[in-house]
Amino acid sequence: MKRRGFLKLGIAAGVVIGVAGAGVALIKPGLVDGKLGPGARDVMRASAIAVLGDMLAADGVDAQLARLEVSIAALPAATRKELSDALGLLATAAGRYALVGLSKPWTEASAQHIQQAFDAMRLSTSNTRQQIYHALRDLNAIAFFTEPANWKTAGYAGPREIP
Amino acid sequence: MSSLPDPITDGLQRGWKVHGGPHAALPAKLDCDVAIVGSGAGAGITAEMLARAGLKIVIVEEGPLRSSSQFKQREADAYPQLYQEAGGRKTVDQAMNILQGRCVGGSTTINWTGSFRTPSDTLAYWGKQFGLKDFNEAEMAPWFEQAERRLNIGDWLTEPNENNGVLRRGAEKLGIPTKVVRRNVKGCWNLGSCGMGCPTNAKQSMLVSTLPAALDLGATLLVQTRAAKFELQGDKVAVLVAEPVALDGSVSGVPVRITAKHYVVAGGAINSPALLLRSNAPDPNGLLGKRTFLHPTAGGVALFDHEVAGWAGAPLSVFCDHFLHTGPIDGPIGYKLEVAPVHPAFALTNGGGIGAELAQRAKDMPRTQLMIALLRDGFHADAAGGAVKLRGDGTPVLDYTLNDYLLDGVRRAYVTMAEIQFAAGATTVRPVHEEARGYANLAEAKAGIAALTMKPFLATVGSAHVMGGCTMAADAGRGVVRPDGQHWQLANLSVHDGSIFPTSLGANPQLTVYGLATRLTSGLIQRLGARAVTLA
Repeated sequence: MKRRGFLKLGIAAGVVIGVAGAGVALIKPGLVDGKLGPGARDVMRASAIAVLGDMLAADGVDAQLARLEVSIAALPAATRKELSDALGLLATAAGRYALVGLSKPWTEASAQHIQQAFDAMRLSTSNTRQQIYHALRDLNAIAFFTEPANWKTAGYAGPREIP
Repeated sequence: MSSLPDPITDGLQRGWKVHGGPHAALPAKLDCDVAIVGSGAGAGITAEMLARAGLKIVIVEEGPLRSSSQFKQREADAYPQLYQEAGGRKTVDQAMNILQGRCVGGSTTINWTGSFRTPSDTLAYWGKQFGLKDFNEAEMAPWFEQAERRLNIGDWLTEPNENNGVLRRGAEKLGIPTKVVRRNVKGCWNLGSCGMGCPTNAKQSMLVSTLPAALDLGATLLVQTRAAKFELQGDKVAVLVAEPVALDGSVSGVPVRITAKHYVVAGGAINSPALLLRSNAPDPNGLLGKRTFLHPTAGGVALFDHEVAGWAGAPLSVFCDHFLHTGPIDGPIGYKLEVAPVHPAFALTNGGGIGAELAQRAKDMPRTQLMIALLRDGFHADAAGGAVKLRGDGTPVLDYTLNDYLLDGVRRAYVTMAEIQFAAGATTVRPVHEEARGYANLAEAKAGIAALTMKPFLATVGSAHVMGGCTMAADAGRGVVRPDGQHWQLANLSVHDGSIFPTSLGANPQLTVYGLATRLTSGLIQRLGARAVTLA
């Protein structure tokens, strides 16, 4: 029942990343003072590993989490609130299971399992699951590929210098 | 630090009147002849002409003042500083990303310099459907000519980069005509970083052309200041209330109250109708914010056996309009073909994929060509555009649905792009669709594309051209503003930006905005009784 309840809420709330509404008030916000709270940090850490895979080895997942916090801080307040709600929900067992399809906690699931779950969201026809996927996947991709130290993974030498 | 001059730093040193953000504090009140909301294509042209007509003007820009010495050609700086919502603006369902400028110069600071007059069939449609009979090609020509002279718009005579070369070469092999893009540049270095702000001041954006001209004539510029709402009295605007905002858009201080004889709204589509919605502007026919168009844009990635280096060189220099003219304008949706620059975050975020697949796409980036198809929405009952709405905090969001009519165009465009890319010598072609894989030949691509599930999110579709929402029309039943730009119900308010387009264009919009703004401002100057001026 719980699972069905979340999905229903999610689809009805399609406007936001994931889910907004009365139920969210009971869930801890994902962002605390603009930074990733402990639960959101687990979600983003696992997402970074799933999205970036071996490329992350270059400078590690902690550097990626630091970049994510900088990217998130630049977002408008309304978007940060939506993201905070979504991360809060994803940090709960019910939210993780219903929206991502991941049975094990973020910290215990293998990279392969998380990648499989992400792949299912990527191909999902549910707007809510797609919104979650893109929030996690796109934020990680932007934060990673805007970092000059990671340009080498894309064979990009950087812009031409202006003398 | 670059050794090149920075006209903005120089202007500030000369004593330009700039308030807000790190500049002089915002005053509590300002009074002027004309207050202009926004500083992009429509606002910039309006500002220079009004200032030269001797009018006292105040320009209100939500974004920061950034200039060439701060443009480092880095995506990490550009998106949060220069784009709406830090580059993350999306449709309400989040299926489409929308790229729009939010800085002094608006989208002209970050566009790819493509300069197209409004296509004649688009103008003819406006005449027929919206009563804009005297907006035909011949009547608009003199206004475009002024804007073209002022902004140095001309053919790009340098050899296109390979990203654009693929479009030209592939189309030529198939007997499909392409043309060279006209660009608003002066002494362009061919860097390829237009989307991150021109570091050499070659791009003749509003930032380095009309706005400095207006500021030199005494105009006042408020930056990091958002037009919050108009206070209305009867059929007139009494006050524009504008609030200081931080870079993340949050309110950071006490509002300024601006009184003016006339108010020009030019904050761009989405933001302009949103301001009028927040102000409870009269909307007797329920048109405000409606008919907002996006040129929904699909992508096609091709890999070559040689380096394409799609990040280097003028990002947009070749285009193909053939597929806008294969059927009637109100038939199955037509599309314009262009290419998009291949910078790491832009290309790899929009290109999809995770894990090993994303890593491979990153590795392949140097030999990646990225073609785009811009769908011409607004000419068919099933492409009637989206609606601008307000969130609880008053910020705008666009409700726009990618329906089957639009997605049919996306699927046809995938095939077209694959045909051209293979004809140009691609080894692999992949439509930017979550279900698509790389296809090794055209037959495989056609079969693969035919089998794709065409749904929002699965088909990656974005937009860099937002148009409409304050439709211009010959009567109040069909439009928000009159053919002279003035609001149908508010006597001292005009709209001078892309939000007045009754449809999308089928072409990159900046020159249409410049031409219309030149014409509308000329009329406004007359109505205000000031001295006549030409833009150039």
